[in-house]
Formats: sequence, C-alpha cells, structure tokens
Amino acid sequence: MSSELEPKSERELAGELEVELERDAGLASAELEELASPNHAGSWGAAFASTFTTVFLAELGDKTQLAALLLSAESGRPGVVFIGASLALICSSLVGVLLGRWLARLMAPQQLERLAGILMVALGLWLGRQAVLGLVPATPDLPLN
Amino acid sequence: MTLALLASTFVTVFLAELGDKTQLAIVSISGTSTRPGAVFAGSSAALVLASLLGAAAGGSLSAVIPTNALQLAASVGFLVIGVQLIRRSGKLESADQLAD
Repeated sequence: MSSELEPKSERELAGELEVELERDAGLASAELEELASPNHAGSWGAAFASTFTTVFLAELGDKTQLAALLLSAESGRPGVVFIGASLALICSSLVGVLLGRWLARLMAPQQLERLAGILMVALGLWLGRQAVLGLVPATPDLPLN
Repeated sequence: MTLALLASTFVTVFLAELGDKTQLAIVSISGTSTRPGAVFAGSSAALVLASLLGAAAGGSLSAVIPTNALQLAASVGFLVIGVQLIRRSGKLESADQLAD
C-alpha cells in the first residue's frame, strides 16, 4: 500500500515543482517584455524599423567603395552593377540573420545577450571613434597655428 | 557579358561585406530578437538604400548630408542597446538563480 503511495506523492511533488518553475519562467519573460529594448520590440513593424535605422545609420557614409564601383566607367552599366551589389548586400544580411538564429539555438539566452551587448558596445565605440575622426579632421599641425 | 558583370560585382561586394561591422550588428540583433524576418527585411532595405544614396550622391554623400554626425548618433544608439543587453543578461541570470 505504502509502496504504491510513495511514487505517486513523488510524482505529485515533481508536478508541483514543474508548475512552480513554469510560473518563474513566466515571470521572467514578463519582465523581459517590460524591459523591451528597440530590438525586442513586439511588433514586426517595430523590429523592422529599429533594425533599418540601426543598419542604415551605421552604413551611411561607409559605402564610398561601392559608390566608386557603381560610378566606374569601366563597366558602363551601373544598373547591372547596382543589382549585383544589392543582391550581395541582401545575401550578406541573410547570412548575418541566420548566424544570429544559429547562435540563439546554440547558447543560453543570457550568455548570448551578454555577448551581443559587448559586441554592440564595441561597435558603438568604434563607430563613434570613426565619426569623431571624420568630424575633427586629423591635423597634427593645428595647435601650432 | 551581363551575367559575368553581375556575378563579379556580387562576389566582390559579398566578400567585402563578410565580417563587416554591419553584419556583426545584424548577427547580434537577430540573435536577441524574436523576429528574424523583420530583422532581415529591415537590414536588407537599409543596406540597399544606403548604397543607392551613396551612388546617387556621386560618392560624396558627406557633402549632401552630415554623415559623420549621423554616425555619431548611431554609435550612441549602439552603446545604449549594448548596455541594455548586458544589463538584461544580468537580470536573466539572477532570475535563473531564483528559480534554482
């Protein structure tokens, strides 16, 4: 009799624990929604807009090579060059998205978020340094004037 | 002839973009977002439009719009998102420890 009861109560305990864990997970995800940062925005449009803004501003002014390629009189067919370049850019962003999804499956969320955060801060510092160098042209002889 | 030009442009630009800072940003946005489709559409549109603008301005985009100032604003945005992600990862970790 007791040998029949014991496994049952154990199972019940396990069930209770599971419910508790689920509730904790629910709380954590609710907290996440509350903390919604631009790239955690709920709607498709918001995710599109924040990604667009981030990438657009980061790439702006960094397309001089491509512009030179498009303008090169060598080919005489800027339309074809533009289509080829656009396809390449779209493919490169697809590679980036797939790489991100692959990492998301591979790593724990908090690990990936910390890594992504460190990467973003590093990119921000680098981008900021570039922008400041562009705004303040390197003129080593300026203090002498 | 057209195909050869198309292919050579594709390969040149694709290889140049691999491992670029923009792609790293896309990887981190995609990895931490639940909407990969929106991230893909947004980044593709931004990349194509930025290159179109660059070409239309004849490679001297900085003469038309203040690209450096905009990039400085973008870098501040990157820093804010990065700090938010790091803080959130800390909160997630403490939530995990509470569950244990």
